[in-house]
Amino acid sequence: MIRLIAITDDASMPPAPLHAVGCGRLTAICAPVDEHSGGADSLWRHEELVESLMETRDLLPVRFGTQLADDEAVAQAVGARGGQLAQRLELVRGAVELALRVDERGAAEPPLTGAATGTEYMQLQADRVRNGRMIHDELAALARETTMLPGPELLRAAYLVERSNVDAFVARVRKLQEANPELVLICTGPWPPYSFADEERA
Amino acid sequence: MSTAVADREVALVDLVDRLLGGGVVIAGDITLSVADVDLVYVSLRALISSVATAQEKQLLPRMGEAW
Repeated sequence: MIRLIAITDDASMPPAPLHAVGCGRLTAICAPVDEHSGGADSLWRHEELVESLMETRDLLPVRFGTQLADDEAVAQAVGARGGQLAQRLELVRGAVELALRVDERGAAEPPLTGAATGTEYMQLQADRVRNGRMIHDELAALARETTMLPGPELLRAAYLVERSNVDAFVARVRKLQEANPELVLICTGPWPPYSFADEERA
Repeated sequence: MSTAVADREVALVDLVDRLLGGGVVIAGDITLSVADVDLVYVSLRALISSVATAQEKQLLPRMGEAW
């Protein structure tokens, strides 16, 4: 078995122990099976590998844990979706993913405890939704593409941002944080474009 | 994410979102074992206190330095 790490249209050889498998116009980057897999450490190891590849090529990261029998199986599986994946690669070219979570400060407490009546509850709930929406709209203006992710926060979202726009995006997050001290904005990245790599998610 | 350990803890939720929920889905064996998932979720539970602390201190993970 081999691990499928990423799909690219850059034909340059990845560093050992990685190897490239030609799949028509696309190239699949594969790795030996991780014998020490388990827990958060193996997730971080995988992430570092993808990030190092991404320094020199545009790529679509593959879902963690994807393993196929051999090079032939990889070429067949990737080749079967070649057209679709090539389109996705164009979407993410030159861009990185930034993650954002927004919540109210002290959100670990039971939510909306300040509401005395049903009407107040409804009002607070509406404010919550509006706050999340406002933050999202401001940041979406700096992104090529966005997607909402499921989560318990006011807002959990991913933004596909051109590399040249990352600094402006971070500056906007800081500004929004300063303007909204009652909220906590947690922004991480740059990530490989996981949330925009497949139609199922994006 | 070439970040400090504390930042990694804050970012673990985002890491799990992406590696386990994102990426190209190829027809193949997904070999994430039950043990792996358990370990990840144990780590997430441990993370709750870390995030609360980070929020109190108004820490934002640093960005743009991973390259």
